[in-house]
Amino acid sequence: MKYNLELIKNKRKIIGFSTVLILLSLLGILYSTFNTSYKKPINLGMDFVGGNELRIERICKEECSNFSPDSVLENLRENSKNKNLLNNIKLQSQNNNKLISIRTPYLSIEESNNLISNLDNIIGPLNYESKDSRLIGPKLGKRLLTNCITSLLVSLFAISLYITIRFDKKYALFALLALFHDLLIVFGIFSWLGIILSVEVNSLFAVSLLTIAGYSVNDTVVIFDRIRENLKSKKEGYNETIQLSVNESFRRTTFTSITTLIPLLSIILFGSYSLFWFSLALSLGIIVGSYSSILLAPSLLLKD
Amino acid sequence: MKRRQGWLFFIIFLFTLSVYLLINYPLQLGLDLQGGSQLTLQIIKEEGKVTRDELEAVNSVIDKRVNNLGVSESNLQTLGGDQLILELPGEQNPLVASRVLGKTALLEFRTQKKGTSTDLKALQLQRLTIKELIEQYSFAEKSQNDNNLNVIQDDLKNIEQELNYSSTSNDLYGKLIEIKKYVDKGITNLFIKTDLSGKDLINAGRRQEQTNSNWEVLLTFSNSGGEKFAEITKSIAGTNQLLAIILDGESISEASVGNQFASTGITGGSATISGNFSAENARELEVQLKGGSLPLPIEVVETNTIGALLGSKNILKSLYAAISGLIFVGIFMIFNYRILGIVSVLSLVLYGFFNLAIYSLIPVTLTLPGISGLILSIGMAVDANILIFERIREELYDGNTLTRSIDSGFQRANSSIVDGHITTLLSCFVLFLLGTNFVKGFAATLGIGVLISLFTSLNCSKTILRFFTTYQSLRQKNLYLPKNNFSN
Repeated sequence: MKYNLELIKNKRKIIGFSTVLILLSLLGILYSTFNTSYKKPINLGMDFVGGNELRIERICKEECSNFSPDSVLENLRENSKNKNLLNNIKLQSQNNNKLISIRTPYLSIEESNNLISNLDNIIGPLNYESKDSRLIGPKLGKRLLTNCITSLLVSLFAISLYITIRFDKKYALFALLALFHDLLIVFGIFSWLGIILSVEVNSLFAVSLLTIAGYSVNDTVVIFDRIRENLKSKKEGYNETIQLSVNESFRRTTFTSITTLIPLLSIILFGSYSLFWFSLALSLGIIVGSYSSILLAPSLLLKD
Repeated sequence: MKRRQGWLFFIIFLFTLSVYLLINYPLQLGLDLQGGSQLTLQIIKEEGKVTRDELEAVNSVIDKRVNNLGVSESNLQTLGGDQLILELPGEQNPLVASRVLGKTALLEFRTQKKGTSTDLKALQLQRLTIKELIEQYSFAEKSQNDNNLNVIQDDLKNIEQELNYSSTSNDLYGKLIEIKKYVDKGITNLFIKTDLSGKDLINAGRRQEQTNSNWEVLLTFSNSGGEKFAEITKSIAGTNQLLAIILDGESISEASVGNQFASTGITGGSATISGNFSAENARELEVQLKGGSLPLPIEVVETNTIGALLGSKNILKSLYAAISGLIFVGIFMIFNYRILGIVSVLSLVLYGFFNLAIYSLIPVTLTLPGISGLILSIGMAVDANILIFERIREELYDGNTLTRSIDSGFQRANSSIVDGHITTLLSCFVLFLLGTNFVKGFAATLGIGVLISLFTSLNCSKTILRFFTTYQSLRQKNLYLPKNNFSN
């Protein structure tokens, strides 16, 4: 089976498509920075701003009774000393009213326990064995954020350095362009997710960006290697050789992306909820990464 | 051929070893898989960085306190130079631990400044009133009684006037606590430091008072501490100066020393603090005093609690995800590469076992992000196989013999596989160095996975494939290439 991607013909289209994606991402980031309640390029989650997140299941004989989140909150408010906190509390129910999730600003362990026992009084009994509670102080959140940003910068720097040493300038530049293209688009998608669905990003999101960086460069390296190898034996013209190389490695690149996507999809489908957005970010990164390795990066190498 | 057979035995040996390791040294599960609590403790230093010595000193105090608390199987480790992570597996309430660990527990013995009796009496009275107001506040809050709340507000204003201090907190409860702290500080300031402190203790205990249900805490001094205590009590015996026992800046007991001790002071090397303790408070103070005071204050900055049921659900879910991932990747590979696909499935299975065996050897504590790193690395492990198989196919299309195609397939793919994994390893390395505990798990499993995959996909696949090709019936080219493509 030979593949025949018409890279030379479609160069403009590919670059145009990527430009549109990048502009959309930038738009999301700008909109998120100026037009949302959180005023950040992306909706930062609890890991970075601190707070309290609680998930707990109710024990119900058959079906769990309906309740209105507002009245539960009203009830909780009446039983709490900390008035300020309960202005910022969010309560949701899932799984036919069985699973309750609550978000509040940072609480001490004592306050959090009080909140749970109050909740138990209102819509209990609760199954404490199913509890998932996270309390993160605001100081730690800031630190995690700086930590994540440093990790990202350091590893991007390390990868750039590696690529520059390994390839000549032109290849390195385009491989890196493709890498930043991938990261920017995944970031942009999550900016939009934050705006539309109030999806938040946590430290695992930073991890996914780092993993995407490693993975996407890997893909590009394989294709560029092929191009270099074929250029040495030079049977055809420069542009044609590039197109041929891409077609030769097309199968390999799509296949490895598929075999990496399959496990990620199984985490999305079967895995724990705490890994859902993480796996989604990775999957998106791998899709965008393969696109940029197969189509974008080689197109940038083409001569007019 | 002989060399390959040697490899085959080696791989079988490694496999048996892995199974043996996994049976005898079970994997360590993180708290998100077995349930429990994790506390992150931040050491607070106003100026400069926390030194290694300070970190170790704090670590040892916390360690003693945790042990004295009687928490089973707890695990304490340092993180990033100024943080400690305490893990409490199972259904143990992190509340007590956080209360006991969070206090500096700096114990001081102070004597009253001369001529401050009237001031002290006034402050003691105010302290009592504030305490009562705080109790009343809890009642009034629960019963939603606004009248009572107004009364408390008025009383508070009176005290503020007496103290000539106005609180800055927004809500009533905050104001009460603020005033209480102000009064406590005022009392402490009426006393002068002595050279006797918590460092002079060799033991602490607790017992119930005989007259009522309150508890008291018993202190046992070292020899020199006993002498200091005698000296101090002697100096104020029979005067109207009091002896205060101050914990973290708050006086928990003020007592007079009787005239009968004027000649020798209180000897015997022990003292009791009877400060209306509840059983729980007495135990907490006992644990804190036994462990000694913290050289630097700490703060609990993060608490994660996961129920045991949720933990076992997480294990199941991860198992489903891992197994279905493996199965679908296997189907994909066999569909596309036939015999070669079977080879890669076999090396994937080996890969899984080797990974888990390494986890139990190092040991790596398995967490949810860790498992996702492992599952993700399945995909990356296949990556190398695909590179090789594609090369083999190309060689076969070019009309080469099977043995030759296999050889040059492995040879030619070698360098790009190693190269390609370097960037992923770089990311893992950075993550492991800079990441939080949670992130480290992911970086560790992904990194280990990538390294092991180099061995399994290069060496194991090659050995298995060579083994297969020793059978004549498995040497037909169409077993390696899909038929429709073969005519291509």
